[in-house]
Amino acid sequence: MEETKKKSNQSSTHKIGIYLWIWGLLFVLSFFSYLVDWYQFQGLLRWSLILFFMFLKAGLIMAFFMHLYWERYALVNVLLWPMTAIVCFVALMVAEGKYTLFSRLFYFFVGG
Amino acid sequence: MSDEYENKSSYQAQSSETISGTGSGVSPDMDYVRPAENPEQDLYHAHSFIEKWVFCQDAKVIGVQYFLTAVFTGVVGLILSWLMRLQLGFPGLAGFITAEHYYQFVTMHGMIMVVYFLTALFLGGFGNYLIPLMVGARDMVFPYVNMLSFWMFFVAVAVLMASFFVPGGPTGAGWTLYPPQTILEGTPGHGWGILLMLISLSLFVIGFTMGGLNYMITILQARTRGMTLMRMPLTVWGIFTATVLAMLAFPALLVSSIMMTLDKLLGTSFFMPTILKAGEVLEYGGGSPILFQHLFWFFGHPEVYIVALPAFGIVSDLISVHARKNIFGYRMMVWAIVGIGALSFFVWAHHMYVSGMNPWFGFFFASTTLIIAVPTAMKVYNWILTLWRGNIRINTVMLWCLGFIVTFVNGGITGIFLGNVSVDVPLSDTYFVVAHFHMVMGIAPLMVIMGAIYHWFPLVAGKMLDEKLGKWHFWTTFLGAYSIYFPMHYLGFIGVPRRYYEMYDSPYMTSGVGLNEFISTAAFIVGAAQLILVFNIVKTMKTGKKAEKNPWKANSLEWFTSTVPPEHGNFGERLPVVHRWPYDYNVPGAGEDYLPQTAAPSEVAHTEVEKT
Amino acid sequence: MSDPKIDGFELEKGFRGMAKDTGSDQTMFKGVHWGKAMMWIFLLSDTFVFSCFLIAYMKGRASTPVEWPNPSEVFALDAFGVPVPLLLIALMTFVLITSSGTMALAVKYGYERNRKMCGYLILATALGGLTFVGMQAYEWSKLIHEGVRPWENPFGAAQFGSFFFMITGFHGTHVSIGVIFLFIYCYKVFAGHYDEGKRGWFTKMKGDYVEVEILGLYWHFVDLVWVFIFAFFYLW
Repeated sequence: MEETKKKSNQSSTHKIGIYLWIWGLLFVLSFFSYLVDWYQFQGLLRWSLILFFMFLKAGLIMAFFMHLYWERYALVNVLLWPMTAIVCFVALMVAEGKYTLFSRLFYFFVGG
Repeated sequence: MSDEYENKSSYQAQSSETISGTGSGVSPDMDYVRPAENPEQDLYHAHSFIEKWVFCQDAKVIGVQYFLTAVFTGVVGLILSWLMRLQLGFPGLAGFITAEHYYQFVTMHGMIMVVYFLTALFLGGFGNYLIPLMVGARDMVFPYVNMLSFWMFFVAVAVLMASFFVPGGPTGAGWTLYPPQTILEGTPGHGWGILLMLISLSLFVIGFTMGGLNYMITILQARTRGMTLMRMPLTVWGIFTATVLAMLAFPALLVSSIMMTLDKLLGTSFFMPTILKAGEVLEYGGGSPILFQHLFWFFGHPEVYIVALPAFGIVSDLISVHARKNIFGYRMMVWAIVGIGALSFFVWAHHMYVSGMNPWFGFFFASTTLIIAVPTAMKVYNWILTLWRGNIRINTVMLWCLGFIVTFVNGGITGIFLGNVSVDVPLSDTYFVVAHFHMVMGIAPLMVIMGAIYHWFPLVAGKMLDEKLGKWHFWTTFLGAYSIYFPMHYLGFIGVPRRYYEMYDSPYMTSGVGLNEFISTAAFIVGAAQLILVFNIVKTMKTGKKAEKNPWKANSLEWFTSTVPPEHGNFGERLPVVHRWPYDYNVPGAGEDYLPQTAAPSEVAHTEVEKT
Repeated sequence: MSDPKIDGFELEKGFRGMAKDTGSDQTMFKGVHWGKAMMWIFLLSDTFVFSCFLIAYMKGRASTPVEWPNPSEVFALDAFGVPVPLLLIALMTFVLITSSGTMALAVKYGYERNRKMCGYLILATALGGLTFVGMQAYEWSKLIHEGVRPWENPFGAAQFGSFFFMITGFHGTHVSIGVIFLFIYCYKVFAGHYDEGKRGWFTKMKGDYVEVEILGLYWHFVDLVWVFIFAFFYLW
């Protein structure tokens, strides 16, 4: 343990510059995503911009603040692959949400 | 992997095979295993009775605590099933069972057996006891958190049991707790009962998360020298994969519990549509009951495999040990376990074919469901091929394993029926479904649990269970369980619906009446037959013969502890060093018919041992 | 953390390294502390919790035939008499990202065994978290004042309030738990428990600066979740 501790000490003390950079970038990106609302972009543009900034911010936090960028692939892959289950769940629930809306409109308003 | 590459930077475990060739920079010693990465674990030894037996941090004691608590809930579940069978087989005989009671029994029986009995028993009980021993660790990596995990589970069980005594009794909504009826008047236990159930489930999830982190990190980060993932016993693989599933599936249960608690307490309408009750519109409106079903089964289907995978793993080890033959296709078995685990997150809505979900989903989920049968079938073939030409010892443990294979194949095949939408729709909510899931995730895992008890009892208690009583126990349980569930398939085909309090005088089901009586009688006998095990244990503890060390001549590390039963710290002064997989039985050229995982290559240089 | 050497060999990078790590004995995550691995797996599990919440929200919002309230208007705040959309939320985001940055630096100084800097930065993080919780309490009380309840609201679909209070409440609980731990760790750092390896009161395990990183992971995760909540709940 002593040994690994020393090792981790050497490698995890990245230069302070990189943290400040990421910090600054996060502020800028948050500001941009705020501007999406400020300028009231609508429709596909709004959604794609929101998602773009969101994933960028999330990626930066995970990669640098949580040090995932410097971690070994074994850990990174273990953490990211389970997200496929979430992606599948989201995709199916999008379809399900649409179908529920359809059936509500159809049976309560059109058919009823 | 090329030889050149191996030698350049090999930090893999070295055995004689991997370093043969043009060595450069690697020690030529054939028994070389690279040095320890982890420091010696800092163990906290108990100082008092309470620290040793109550708030104990030793995974083995925690395992036994989990085991006993789970068995206690299991006995409650068994008694509930008796009461249900009493009503179904002989309606009106027990006057105190009203329709409300019946639904409460159904609900509590289901929830107890699936979550508080099987899950806790396999992961909490066998997981805690076996993982550190089998991977060669001194204890779980976070003993304190592990202790908290058990006590959280204990509180969850206490809360669950408390729901029997609150006004209105326990919830009677079915173990799936489908809204909106779960929290509406008219359902038994719609007040306190359901609330305590949801709280208990949330506590269970929190407690399990603490334990699950321990199991995962112990397996991933605290194996002993030479123990690669592909040298782990399949028991560990099964429990590990099940833990991963639990860590990812229980969140959905937690979320649905929280949301339903809010629906119940605050009057939100997450799952509650607009409802007319006796001509009056209730406060609720705009929610989606289907959403609950999705969340629940996103948890619920992996849950099936949380129960099944440890059973697969354990039974593989038992079969291999007692057939004195290496497990057939070890790597295939591992990948099948992992594959089943991964796929189990993509099949959940096959429980919802008749729920009114998006009709296109049927295609997707039927496909994934049938795909998952492929790795499962592989496992069955491999068990049979392990037995094939093995030196099979028909002892009690082996009988339970064979019983498992039969019941599992039976339940698995009916699963193929139900996975198809067009077959499922008419069979949905009939006794066919009841027969299917009791065979596949009730009886089959139970067979493995029983086999595991007979197999590991000498390790835990240091005494051998009585074989004769064990065989009586097996045959009554196996034949009895078959008499219970096999006729249920037929009941399903003639259309007997499940979760009905009474069939009354339906002209369609006249042939079902006699069968129901038969099934109930069998159920009473099977339940009572479990007393044979209790008697066996009591008798063994009093007068049983002392177990020798490693009585089954097994290879895996749990049998090579410094003392039997193992003490805190498991392996005495030095941790074992592993050189091979745990399945080297009847290796040509070796004197004994087994080579322990710790046997060094130089000791067996003359044998035709496989490279693992 | 990043490039541990094992047996004097430099570990390989990329997928080849992953294959070798997975095939090796003893550990799969080379050089990763047990506690850190545990926190990562816990966060993975917690990700599923928040994902389920957000998926439920998505399904609820996508399938309601009643109009969903416009978050831009609901969460507007009057600044000098002018309603500014999402002003409070923007401030909360600012505070949380600030605290995330200070936490990242605290981890760095912790590993450099700079006790004072590490302690002060953790304190700053804790205060940032406290500010965030305070602002959230203000936001909640403002909405409740405007008539938003978990079961109804004057702006549209009733589920709006339900999901809002549940999701932000669950996130706020995470922040609050984090703040409590930040204060505890702040004390432990200043008291020098990690320098001398003092044993923990409950777990009896030796203290080490890696614990700061473990707490840091949790704190960044809380920030990460906020990024998603901000995007999906307030902006969408």
